[in-house]
Amino acid sequence: MTYSSLLFIYGFFPLSLAVYFITPKKLKDISLFLLSIVFCGFFSLKFLFFMLIYTVVNYTSARLTYKLKWKESKYGKFSSIPFAIGIIFNIISLLSFRMEMLAWIHKPFGFSEGFFPFGISLFTLSATGYLIDVYKGRIRAEINFIRLGLFIMMFTRLLMCPVVSYDNFLKICRKRKVRLSELGTGMEFFVKGLVKKIIVADTLFMLYSVIKSIDVRNLPVLTAWLGAVAYILCIYFTLSGISDMGIGISYCFGFRFPQSFNYPLFSSRIRHFSAKWHIQIIQWFRKYAVHPLHSVINSKYINGFTAVCVWTLLGFLYTFNLNGIIWGFLMGLAIIIEGKLKNIRMLKSTGIIYTFVVITILTVFLSCENISESFNYLRAMIGGNKVIVDSLTAYFLKSYIIILLVAIYTSTDLLRNMTARISRTRFRFITAVFSPIVTIILFAVCTALISYTGSSENILIQL
Amino acid sequence: MKISNKISALLLLVFIILFSIMTLFESKSEKYVNENRQPAEFPEITWENFLDGNFGKQLTVCTADHFAFRDKWIAASARLESGICESIINDVYISENRLLSADVSARGSTENSAQAVNEFVKNYDGAVYFVAVPTSSGVYGNMLPAYLLKSTEKQQIDSLYSNLDSDIRKIDAYNILKMLSNNYIYYRSDSKWTSYGAFCVYRTVIQKLGFMPASYDKYTIEHITDSYMGNLYSKTHYMESKPDLLDIYEYSGGAEIIDCKGYDNNGMMYRKSLYDREAVESDDMYSLYLGEELPLIRIQTNINNNKKLLVIGDDYASCFIPFLTQHYNEIAFISPDCMEKDLNKFLNPDDYEQLLFLFGIDSLDDDIFSYMR
Repeated sequence: MTYSSLLFIYGFFPLSLAVYFITPKKLKDISLFLLSIVFCGFFSLKFLFFMLIYTVVNYTSARLTYKLKWKESKYGKFSSIPFAIGIIFNIISLLSFRMEMLAWIHKPFGFSEGFFPFGISLFTLSATGYLIDVYKGRIRAEINFIRLGLFIMMFTRLLMCPVVSYDNFLKICRKRKVRLSELGTGMEFFVKGLVKKIIVADTLFMLYSVIKSIDVRNLPVLTAWLGAVAYILCIYFTLSGISDMGIGISYCFGFRFPQSFNYPLFSSRIRHFSAKWHIQIIQWFRKYAVHPLHSVINSKYINGFTAVCVWTLLGFLYTFNLNGIIWGFLMGLAIIIEGKLKNIRMLKSTGIIYTFVVITILTVFLSCENISESFNYLRAMIGGNKVIVDSLTAYFLKSYIIILLVAIYTSTDLLRNMTARISRTRFRFITAVFSPIVTIILFAVCTALISYTGSSENILIQL
Repeated sequence: MKISNKISALLLLVFIILFSIMTLFESKSEKYVNENRQPAEFPEITWENFLDGNFGKQLTVCTADHFAFRDKWIAASARLESGICESIINDVYISENRLLSADVSARGSTENSAQAVNEFVKNYDGAVYFVAVPTSSGVYGNMLPAYLLKSTEKQQIDSLYSNLDSDIRKIDAYNILKMLSNNYIYYRSDSKWTSYGAFCVYRTVIQKLGFMPASYDKYTIEHITDSYMGNLYSKTHYMESKPDLLDIYEYSGGAEIIDCKGYDNNGMMYRKSLYDREAVESDDMYSLYLGEELPLIRIQTNINNNKKLLVIGDDYASCFIPFLTQHYNEIAFISPDCMEKDLNKFLNPDDYEQLLFLFGIDSLDDDIFSYMR
C-alpha cells in the first residue's frame, strides 16, 4: 500500500485521520503508533515483525549505551559495546536487503525473495544518527518506546521520510497542532506530491523506459538526450513526489517536517543544485559521516573533500552498486571544478543551462546498470551512432512534448514565486479562490489515472 | 490564505469520504466480462496471506476493481493520457480509427503449447490441421509505434509452426488476412476477427480439409447489432472509439442444424443454437456466437456424408464454426480454456477423422492445453 494507491487515499487515509482526531490528546501517540502497525501489516506481517525488531534493537541499544556511559560511569568503557551492536545491526540489515550479494544474511530468517523493507535506507539513517547522538551525549536515550517507535516507523514518514535528527523530531512532536487549516495545507501538499508522482513521473517513466528498451547502438542523438532528460526529471519528480506526499500526510497529523527538495534542477550552479537536492540526507552524511574525518584533512581541501565524500555516499545509497558511486564521485568532482572556475563571466548568463546539461550527462551513470552501458549511452548522446534524428524521435517529441514542458516549468520555482507574488498584492483573492479548485481538479485527475491499476508503483530508486 | 486552506481541506475530505462510502456500497456485480476476467474479490483472511503481504496487494486490486464509477474514471483517464503522452492506455494503443493491443509482453513463447499439441497428436489417428490467427495488432502492426514491433505476431506464428510436428498441416491465416486488411476483417474495438475475417480464412481452410468453399453471395448477412464494444474498449473506455457490427451469416438453402448441445464440466447438457440472439441485450455481446462458453459443444447437421470434425479452439473459433456446418455431419467444438478435466472425459478424439486447431495467437502462450495430456 503505497501513498499513491486508491486503497490508501480512499481507505486508510480517511480512516486513520478519523481515528487520530477522535482519540484524546494523551493517547494520540499510541493511536498513531497502532495505525503505523496496521500500515506496516498491510505490506506484510513479515515487514511488521522486521520493523518491530528493528525498533526494539535500537531502543535497547540506545538505552544501554546511555545507562552505561552517562549513568554508571564505572562501566563507562563498556558503553561502546551496545552502541557498536546497534550500529552494526542497522548497517548489516541495510546492506543485506539492499545488496543482492549479501542477501544470504537475511535468507535464514525466512524473508522470502521478493521481500523488501520499504524505506530501509532512510530509517536506517535516522536510527543510526539517533544512536550516535546518544553515544556522543547530545541527547538522552528515549525512555518512551512508542516515541522511538514513531520516530522509526511512523507511517506518514516511512516511505520517503525526511531524515531529521531525533531532537528535531521531538521538537516537531512538541509543536504539533491539529487544526483544519493545517489539514488543508497538508492535503494540498499531499495532492502536490500525488501530481508529481502520478501525472508527471509516471508519464516520463513511460518515455524513459521505452527509450531504454531501444538498442543503445541504434540510438539517435536526440532520442538519447530525450531519454537522459526524461530520466533526470523522472527521478526528481518520483523522489520529491513521494516525499511531498509523506510530508503532506504528516502535516495533516500535525507534524511539520522540513522539505527534502527545494527546486534543485534548474539552479544556476552545480553547487546550488547540491544544496537543494535531498537536503536532509546530504546534511546527515555531512554531519555523521564526513565531519568526524575533518581533523585529518588539511583545512584547505575540506570543502572539496566533503563534497566528494557526501555525493559518493549519496550515490552509493541510491543504487548500492559501482555506478552509483561513480555518479556521486563525479558530481562531487564537478562541484570542485566549478569552484575553481567560478570567476568566469560566461557562467553568469548561461548558468542554468550549463548546470542542467552537466547534471543530465552525469546522471547517465546513475541510470545505467554498469559502466560499459553508461559509456555506450554517452557515446550515443554525442553522436557516436551517426544518426541525429529518426522518425521515432519525432514520434516521442510529438507525444511527450507537453508533459516535458510542464515538468520543466514546474521543476523551476517560477510557479511558486508567481503565486507568492500574487498573494502579496490586492489580487490575492485569485489564489485564494483558485487554489482549492485547482487542488480538487488535480486530485480527481490523479484518481482517474490510477483507477485502472489501483496504484502507481514505478519507482526508479527503491530507497 | 488560511480560509482557502480550510476550503481545500473540506472539499478534499468531502470528495474522499463521498467516494469511499460509494465504493463501500458499490454493488458487487460481475460487470466487465469483456476484459476476460472477473472483478477481484475481497481477499481471504488467512495467516499466509497476511504473512506474505498478499492480502494488501489483493486488496489494492480489489479496491480498484470495485471503485465507485470505475468505468467513468477509466474513460476520463483515457482522455487525459492521450492528451499528455503517447496514446497507449492500459496497454491499448489508440490509433486514428481503431484500438490495438500494445501489450507486447504478451507475445511470449509458444513452445509449451506446441509441445502439448505434438504430444496429443501422437496418439491420434486422423488428419490434423492447425490455424494460428493473428490478432488485430498483428495484422495492423504497422500502425503501432515502431519500438513495439521488435517481435511481431508473424514471427510468433512462424516459430510456433516450426515447432509443430511435420504431420500437422499448418494453414497460413496471417497472409490471407494481411492481404485483405483494407476490409472489415477485424473489429475496431476488439482484438478478434469479424465474421467476414473468419469467412475469408474459412475459404482456404475448407479447401485444405477437402471441400469446396461456399461462395460469398450465397450468404445473407444480418447485422444483429451496431453497438458492439470489444475487449480493447473495456480496457480503455475511450469515448471516441467507434462501435462495431456483429453479423450473422445465414446460408440460404444449405444444410440445417438438427441438434446443438453444450456440456459443462459436470456433464450437464444445455440446449444451444449457433447464435444466441439474446446475448446482444446482455453485457457479453460476443456470446452471440455459440452462446455462453462451454468446454464441449456438439453440433449435428442434416448432411449425410458421415463426416465428423473435431475443432479445438478459442473465441476465434466461435464465429468460424457456423461456416463449417455446411460441410460436416457432426462437429464437436472443444474450448480448452474452460475445461476442468481431461479431454478424454468429454469425448473420444478418435471418433473424428479430422481435427482442426484454431486459436488466436495471443492465447497460445499460456498453458491452455494442460488438460489435453
